[in-house]
Order: sequence, then structure tokens, then C-alpha cells
Amino acid sequence: MSSTMSDAPTTGTLEVTDEVQISETERQLVLNMGPQHPSTHGVLRVVLTLEGETIIKTDPIIGYLHRGVEKIGETRRYSQFTPWTDRTDYLAAPLNNLGYIMAVEKLCGIMAPERAQYWRVIMGELSRIASHLVWLGTHALDIGALSMSLYCFREREMILDIFEKFCGARLTTNMMEIGGFSRPNPDGIVAMIEDFLTIFPERQQEYVDLLSANPIWLARTRGVGIIEPQDAIDWSLTGACLRGSGVNYDIRKAQPYLIYDRIDFEVPLGTHGDVYDRYLVRMEEMRQALRIIRQCLDQVPTDGPLMLNDSNYVIPPHDTVLRTAEDMQRHFVWVIKGFDAPKGEVYMAIEHSKGELGHYIVSDGSPVPYRLRIRTPDFVNLQVLPHMARGSMLADVVALIGTIDIVLGSVDR
Amino acid sequence: MAEDPTRKQGETPPEAMAGPAKSTSPGPKDDPQAPADNQTAWADASPAGQVSEAADRDDTEARAALELAEAARVPVVEPAHDQTGLAIIDPGWVHTGYWGPLDDSRHPAIIALRRAFGDAIEEVTFFRDEVTVRVSTPPLADIVTFLRDHDALRYRLLSDLTAVDMLRLRTTPRFDVVVTVYSISNRQRLRLKTGLLDGQTCPSLTGVHSGAGWLEREAFDMFGIIFDGHTDLRRMLLAEDWDEGHPLRKDYPIRGYKQYVQPGFESPTPRVRDYGRT
Amino acid sequence: MGLIEDRFEKNVLVSSVDYVFNWARRSSLWWLQFGLACCAIEMISASMPRYDLSERFGMLYRASPRQADLMIVAGTVTKKMAPVVRTLYDQMADPKWVLSMGSCANVGGPFDTYAVVQGVDQVVPVDVYVPGCPPLPEGLYYGILELQNKVIKYETFARKYGQDEAELERDRDRMSAQAAVVGTDAVITSQTTGFGVPTDNSIRR
Repeated sequence: MSSTMSDAPTTGTLEVTDEVQISETERQLVLNMGPQHPSTHGVLRVVLTLEGETIIKTDPIIGYLHRGVEKIGETRRYSQFTPWTDRTDYLAAPLNNLGYIMAVEKLCGIMAPERAQYWRVIMGELSRIASHLVWLGTHALDIGALSMSLYCFREREMILDIFEKFCGARLTTNMMEIGGFSRPNPDGIVAMIEDFLTIFPERQQEYVDLLSANPIWLARTRGVGIIEPQDAIDWSLTGACLRGSGVNYDIRKAQPYLIYDRIDFEVPLGTHGDVYDRYLVRMEEMRQALRIIRQCLDQVPTDGPLMLNDSNYVIPPHDTVLRTAEDMQRHFVWVIKGFDAPKGEVYMAIEHSKGELGHYIVSDGSPVPYRLRIRTPDFVNLQVLPHMARGSMLADVVALIGTIDIVLGSVDR
Repeated sequence: MAEDPTRKQGETPPEAMAGPAKSTSPGPKDDPQAPADNQTAWADASPAGQVSEAADRDDTEARAALELAEAARVPVVEPAHDQTGLAIIDPGWVHTGYWGPLDDSRHPAIIALRRAFGDAIEEVTFFRDEVTVRVSTPPLADIVTFLRDHDALRYRLLSDLTAVDMLRLRTTPRFDVVVTVYSISNRQRLRLKTGLLDGQTCPSLTGVHSGAGWLEREAFDMFGIIFDGHTDLRRMLLAEDWDEGHPLRKDYPIRGYKQYVQPGFESPTPRVRDYGRT
Repeated sequence: MGLIEDRFEKNVLVSSVDYVFNWARRSSLWWLQFGLACCAIEMISASMPRYDLSERFGMLYRASPRQADLMIVAGTVTKKMAPVVRTLYDQMADPKWVLSMGSCANVGGPFDTYAVVQGVDQVVPVDVYVPGCPPLPEGLYYGILELQNKVIKYETFARKYGQDEAELERDRDRMSAQAAVVGTDAVITSQTTGFGVPTDNSIRR
């Protein structure tokens, strides 16, 4: 092992020592896992110090996908930056768009029309389901249930079809715009969502039938990776990692944004704080997301503006740009120069599928953000891994990584 | 986490002690019990609600102000006008009450902080619904500890910690360290800011919130801010042998200083290859 | 003798054995399970039931580089990750191919920053580039079909007539294959790397 490790070009100066002989009968082994490892969900690297099969130290090494998104944000105009938010967390791109767009809207002091807010919630909740489906599929795949990933990706394709219909892209949607949606809703989108709402509950019941009583699944998840509620708060966890420990913090309820205060839904809470509870919390979140979408479809106005009018901050409507000179000028200026955002700083937090997604924008009054900070949930959540893994078995590491629900693009940004 | 473990043992919430009550009957119905009414279950479900009342501070004024803030979803300031003069700030962004009352004589956290720390609280600014408290650097960890342990305020979740390079906005100090804390039981957010000269160290918050560890490492990696007391201040997002400075500083070019050179080669591969016959 | 003139120059036996080997290689390309970023999700989607890349093309993902034939570089290659990519490539056994999937792996994509290598061809030689951000699974399909066309030509002609002739032959094959494909929108640019002539023949339909 030593020869191969020293021959391989390493990134960084981390010394991976092989073995440390503690006493005549005990020794510690340093095991390198990743960055190319099928169960690290990307390019996470974990350096484990083992004593036998027991983990005594874990050092997650991230940054293999650090692409400088925050630096890019300081060089692009407000309306230009949305595509990069897709690519920070590519499993729930509409929610990422939403967080950024709402931060910009808060900075500018504008609010999208009611109908657009409903559609934002619908798309956001759909992407929450899609993100949870990928999490469930890969998490179960890591633990040994290969077929789960096949089923989960099957249903995920339905959601991606809705996205493709709605905005033209499957994965990196670039869906939300400042001020609402500038294009009319495509025909048949409601029928597609209704289809999904009809089909998905029974499909989800299949997952539950496959997993919830599965002895292997229970053995691998029950009592593994327990986080006490105080520790969860202390480690700044958010999302299902926090709620799985029984702490009731969901931004949709705590500090409602968009139209979440008009929607009736519940926040599932775990009791034991182990991997299995977080699984249950996320499964229930998917059901609640369906409820939210159902209510939104019932409540959403069928006509009315989708885009804010009469504001410097939004793109002028497409149909008048080519007909009136004023709108053409506004459009030209908006596209070429951008808009001067008000001076100030805002922090807008939304409930992402993985936790609290915060965008902190410092504006100096120019069309370009002075500082754009993306507080991604899984970056903060991932640092609890050493705490969870201490004292557990080597085989549990894949379950622990899976239960945090990380996306490395979002962790490294 | 690292600070005093006794504090944590005294306040284990009943849910965490429930034991394996539901572990005997796995099945589709074995789902987490969401509280029937989330709105009322807030304070009960949160471990922050279990803080013991033993440390009885003299904070009646803060409590009174907090009650006032709870009652007030009413506008406390007039809606500001946009600088462009075109649009009025939507009141939905201003009157949320998510950051407390927009009045530093009524904001409970500011009242309590001013009483406890006095001159260390330098400035309070409001923007939209947000409250920013600028504090002096040395007592930063004490202030965050105070906010965490205060019986009424309970800012116990470290929401974010980052830095801003203010190079082009002012002459000195160069950096702002921005700490956002959140109170789960009061549903209040608060932002603390402190100025930092280039090369000046910032007190580390890892002793207060364990979650600050990676956030401070990231700030060190991106800005070169040294956090005094952080035990594991290494490069994080960039390679450990990165020698090209700290990228989020304003004087750092976006493309960096060097192109990638493959190990074993002397120069980077040209972007457009010469396909001549060899 | 006009019909069989020059035919024996190629050495029928060797070329046929090559063909059989290449046919086997082409029909069971095992790719290294190695996802970097967003494109990896589309790569996984392509191998999942809707698109079913694995079953259709006899492909299978393999977690170990030692048993993999194909490396699909799906996503952004950062400066921190590039040595790892190279290590993985070096660990793969010959013959091996590299498919660069997505704009980031092709040219750096939208991330022209301090941390990103501007194209994985600065790290490993690339056989097929698939554009898109991310490419649709159909785009990945097309890239793999292109790669299979390349695999079947592996060293058969190049040994005797040089790489140039092999490339031309491959292009002729591809044009005929292209004519057979109806209704695809894929735009594929294929280049040889390392040696040989540039084949800057983007096929647009």
C-alpha cells in the first residue's frame, strides 16, 4: 500500500501514513476513501483512521469540485448569474434558482405576482421530490438495494419531463427569473403535474414496501449515525438532518416565504435521530410536497400576470419589446447594462431539499453583486460526518455519507 | 460542543429520550409523528425550548421587548423608497418581523447586547427587514456566546459565517466577518459584523458553535483570515499546497495567476493543439 | 487481378483477428464509474431504466479502473481533481478510451476561473467530445456510437497505412452511418488526439 500511495500523484501535501503500531497487539490503519469512490456521491474524499473495523477519526476532504462560483458571482450581472446557481446543486436546480432570485428580489424590493409565486412553489416542490428521489436511490444503492435506484430514477424522469415542458431543460433548468416568469405557461403542464400527482403516491408506496420492512435496510440504518438534538443544533445542521433529530426548524414554516403561509402542510420530525429516522423524514417530506403541489394547483389563479410589470429590475415583456420603442429601450438597457441594484445587503434563506439555502448578497449599487455568498446546506451538514462516524463501523460510512444527502457541487461550489 | 458539556446534559428534550418505542413494528405506517399543529409545537419541539431557567439574568426589559416583538407583525417603519425612484419597496420584504423589530430601541437582542457589552456594540443598521449589528472584534466570541446562552433570546443555531473583502468600498478595515445566527424558538435571525484589518486575527467561534469549524476554514481558505483558536485551520476547498493566495479577495484575478500544469510537464498544454505530423 | 489486388497487403488473418477483437471491445465497453459534476447525473440517468444505456450497448459501469475500458469524464475537472483523473487514466489497462462529456470537460464550460482546468484534454487524451451543458442522454448515446466507430478501427489500418488513412476510413464510415441516422439533432465534434490529423468535421443536421 505504501508504494502505491507514494507513487500516485497526490493533490495536496496530506500525508497518508499507512499504519501506526500502537502496541504489540494494536495498530491503527489510515484508509483513503475517494475521491473516486462509487458511494461518495461524487468526488468526496474521506480519510479514515481505523482501529480494526472501528473508526476513530474521520477527515472529509472536499474541494475536488470547487469551481469558484462565488467569484463568478462577483463578475456577472444579477440576471446573468442564474445559470450558475443551477450548477451548484444540480439535483434541485429550480430550488437553487429560487433562492438566488428571491435574494435579488429582496435586495431590489420587488415581489413576483401571486400566480408566479404559486408556480414557483409548484416547481420548487417538484424539484424537492426529484432531489429526494436521487437521494433515496443512491442511498439505497450504497447500502445494497440496487433496484431502488432503478425505481427512483424512473419516477424522477417524470418530474424532469415536467421541467422540460415548463422551461425547456431537464437538469439545469435556469427556470426562475427576476420578477416571475417571462413566458406563458405551456399548454398541458397542469395535466402532466396531475398525472404525476396521481401516479407518484402508489409508486412511493412501492418504495416503502421495498425498504421500510426490509431487514437488511433496517439493520443498516436503525441506530446508526445518531445525532442528538443538541449536537444537531451545535453543528449547525439544517434540513432533514436537523429534523430527523426532532428539532422543528423548517423555514417554510418558521419564516414563510412566497405563499407557504397559505398552504396547509406538516413538518415531519424524527425521534431517534438515526439514519432510519432521516429516511422517514424525507419520505414524509415527499408526501407533504405532493400535498403542497395539490393545494397550489387548486389555489393558483388561472389567469393574471406571471411577470412583474413597471419595474426597472425585470425584463420587459416579450410581446411589447418588439412593438413599443420604450420597451425596446428598456429591454436593451436591461440586457446590455443590467440594472443598478439598491445599496445594501440581504440574506435570503429558503428551505432547500437539503436544508437552509442562504444567499447573502452585498450590493454596492452597481449592476454586479459586490459579494455573493452561497450558504449551501450540505456544506454545513457534511461537517457532522466525523462526529457521527466516531466509533462506528467502517461499513457504516457509506450509510452516513448517504444520509447527509450531499451534492458535491453544492458542497464545494 | 467543546465548551461545556454539562450544559448539554441538563437539557435533553423528551423526544430524544423516547427510546426505541417504535422500533418493534416496522412497516409502511412507521412514519414519524408530525406534530398535529406545527404552529403551536414550535417551542415544545425545539430543544431550545428546554433551556433551564436556572441562570436567571436581569433581562426583564429584553423579555418585555421580546413579547412586544412577538405581538408585532405590524409595520414598525415606513416603507423605504427605491433609489431609482421608480418602484416602492414591496412591504412584504420589510414587515416580516423575521429579524425582529426594525428599531434599535425596541429590538430585544440589541437591548440585551447594549446592556451587556456597552461600547462593543458599534452600530446597528437596518435594511429591508434585516438587522445588522456591527460589533468590535475582540469580544465577538463572547457576544455569540451571550446570544446563544441568553434565556430569552436563544440564538442557538449558527446560520452562516462568512467574510467580505471591503477593499473597494472603504479604506479600513479591509475585511468584514459576517456571522448570522438564528433563534429556533423565537424564529428570529440576527447578523453580526465585525471589521478586520488585513493580517488581524479574528476570535474563533468553534468553542461556541461546533458548526463554525468548516465555515471558518472556508473563510480562511478564501480570504486568508486567521481565526484565533481554531484548531484545524487548513486549506479546504483549494488544494493543500495551493500557493496562489486567497481567491475571494478583491485583488485576486478571477482566472488566477497560473494555468494548470500537469505533473511531469513543464508548461501547460496549449489550448489549441499543433496537429503537425510528428 | 484487379479485384484482389492489394488485398493481401493488409494481411487478412491479422486484420480479421483485429476485427474480431475490436468487435468484442466495441460491444462490451465497460466504463469507469466516475462522476464529477452535473453531467454525472445525466450519465446515471442514461444508464437508468428510461434510457438504459447499459443494456443497449453492452456497457456496464465498473468501479475499478483496472477493469474499465472507457473513461467518461462527466463534469468539471478542477485543478485539485486533475491529478486524480490522470492517476485513474494511468491505472486503466490498454486499450482504453476517453469520452469527454459536457462543456466543462471539453473546454472548461462556464467556469473560467482560478480553480478549473480548461478542458480535460490538458490532462488525458480524449477520443470523443460530447457537447452540452449537460448533454442529454441522447447526446451521450451519440457520443458512444461515435466511439464505437472509433473502437472498431483500433489499430487495424493505422498499423499498415498510418493514422491518416485510418481517420479517413473512419470518416467515410461515419458519413455512411450518418446517412442512416434519421432525425437526430446531436452535434458531435470528434477529434483525434495525441497523433494524427485533425478531423474538424462537425456534422450538423
